[in-house]
Amino acid sequence: MKNLVYLMAIAILALGLYSYDTKAENASLQKTLHAQYTNSLAGASEKLSNLQDSVSQSLLFQDEAALNNELDNIWRVSNELRSDISSLPLTREVSNDWIRYIGNIGEEAKLTAETGDYKSWQKKMSVVNSNLNALSDEWTVATSIYFDQDGDFSKWERVAGLEPDESPFKNISANLKNYSETDFPLTASESDYKKKIELKHIEDEEITKDQAIDVLEMLLPGIKDATYTVTQSKKDAAYPFYHIQFVKGSRVGYADITVKGGHILSFLSERPVQEKKGVTQEEIRKLAKQFLERAGYKDLEIVEERENHEAWHISLARVVDVGEEKAYVYPDGIQLKVSKDSGELLGLNAMEYIQKEQIKEQPVKPIDWKTFFRPGAVVEEERMAYTENDQFMLRLCYEVIVRMDNKSNDTFRIVVDTDTHEVVKVENLM
Amino acid sequence: MIRTLIIAVILTFGTISIVKPSETYAFSGQVIERGAFGDDVIELQARLQYLGFYNGRIDGKFGYGTYWALRNFQQQYGLTVDGVAGKSTKDKLANNSDFDKEWVHTQINAGNEFTYYGGKPLDQQVKTNNGTAKKGASNSASVQLPVKYSERDLQLMANAVYGESRGEPYEGQVAVAAVILNRLESPDFPNSISEIIFQPGAFTAVADGQIWLTPNERAKEAVLDAMNGWDPTENALYYFNPKTATSKWIWSRPQIKQIGEHIFCY
Repeated sequence: MKNLVYLMAIAILALGLYSYDTKAENASLQKTLHAQYTNSLAGASEKLSNLQDSVSQSLLFQDEAALNNELDNIWRVSNELRSDISSLPLTREVSNDWIRYIGNIGEEAKLTAETGDYKSWQKKMSVVNSNLNALSDEWTVATSIYFDQDGDFSKWERVAGLEPDESPFKNISANLKNYSETDFPLTASESDYKKKIELKHIEDEEITKDQAIDVLEMLLPGIKDATYTVTQSKKDAAYPFYHIQFVKGSRVGYADITVKGGHILSFLSERPVQEKKGVTQEEIRKLAKQFLERAGYKDLEIVEERENHEAWHISLARVVDVGEEKAYVYPDGIQLKVSKDSGELLGLNAMEYIQKEQIKEQPVKPIDWKTFFRPGAVVEEERMAYTENDQFMLRLCYEVIVRMDNKSNDTFRIVVDTDTHEVVKVENLM
Repeated sequence: MIRTLIIAVILTFGTISIVKPSETYAFSGQVIERGAFGDDVIELQARLQYLGFYNGRIDGKFGYGTYWALRNFQQQYGLTVDGVAGKSTKDKLANNSDFDKEWVHTQINAGNEFTYYGGKPLDQQVKTNNGTAKKGASNSASVQLPVKYSERDLQLMANAVYGESRGEPYEGQVAVAAVILNRLESPDFPNSISEIIFQPGAFTAVADGQIWLTPNERAKEAVLDAMNGWDPTENALYYFNPKTATSKWIWSRPQIKQIGEHIFCY
């Protein structure tokens, strides 16, 4: 009996020590997190103040150098502020609206520095400046509650976890929405993301579920007679589509096909794949071309091939004529996934190809690459391509592969606007 | 007569053995081109480095670095300069270089930094990782990605996908990866994959620590498909489990489709 009491006393003591240790550890972690969040909050408040100063100062200058200095500052601070806001435990809505609004200011500054359209900047920013002042005041009020929590992290956490309509950021959230719409209305070619949603404008005739399965089996005869489960997209989806899930032997996969017109958006099939190659790269290419012919994709060419452990990923782009030359339209691309063991098509992504880009006439002014690049940079390949610039506008460009004539043969893909000679993209290909 | 026959046989076999190229390499019968990946490319890079044409990492990825090195080799050895390693190129390489397959693969699997230049002792060409890298990790983790993504992005996303959706169908795992990439394109979210994943409250797996579980190959393959353009969500920015979601706000988002246990929305 005595021994039992003795043992129980030791067990209780050990448990107490363990509990004390765990509690102390949790308290220490909470303090660290509290300090980190408070630091981010203070940092964000300071950067917001700096941004506000820079925006109002940018309205002072006519001198190009002084103005460009402020524009650089605005772009830098807006990026840092976005990063600070993203690291704060704000509600999703407030965080998203802030990031968008601040990002718009930064992008506008970058664009103005590139184009030199200072008049437009000053016209737009006089409104933004006063809205930013109002937002900054509200931010000070909303965040003050976070600094008044006597070091009690649980209170901090409780405030941070409030639903948007109870949150101290309620007013900021409402104002950010209004200001975003008025200060930075969307442009016609806002983003590729928007373009995809524009699939809702497809006006083709509607097809039934069975017809959707027929489309799938025509494209992929290998899955004929699979077991299908077909559902339709939810009512809020920007464009209605059939979601077909299939099982055939060891293959499990899905395909999305538009209700209007029966266009395949994407397809993926999963099955065990042997890593050992059964088909050559040349055969993979032939199989890809055979599929394109069967699917009626006649204006595409392979632009990239990448082998990995189980499959090849192949990228194709639409090709159009530009005078006597051809140009690749990168935003109208298709991707294929082909198994290494048998050459079976495991995936197709055609979402961007369905709605083709409108090609506009654009001047093609020649470039002397010898003066465009430094000595030692060798232009190895040159072709024409349509690609989107920073303003999401489709531009005809020279696409060149440039190799630095050095020990490591550094290689770059450089895309240059054929009219303005603006460098649209630089990618390191090593 | 017998003597003549014996001489003829000896001459025939002798000629065959001289004419027949030395096939001391481990190359498969495949033609190796830009975009290829694997053991053939490792041998190609090692042999080109042995001869001083290739100065990059021996990683089994046939990119531009390997391509220019191969072209330079073909030019110097009087072969057709096309940057494609067919039979004649492979034979020429094999006859002029050495390849210690076991040693090279051991270094790659151990995650060591190494080179394979000819005329220099191999033990002087390797920097061991002192056990900091997992054995075998570098070989299986190594993949060819679209140029805008890094292997660090792949690893981080695979962790997130595995932590968030390992019990979901493959489509559902690609979908979670696609949501992360859609956020990267959206102006409402941070500008990097790590900031998106670690945004407070963005992913349950970060909050409950499941993001630190080791992802399987399936999760990595799902991320790879999403990085290559697949988006089973049709442009979703959010998803939630209707059985466990407590936020009123998430229910207010326009819904697109359901995959497994997750509803995807704008």
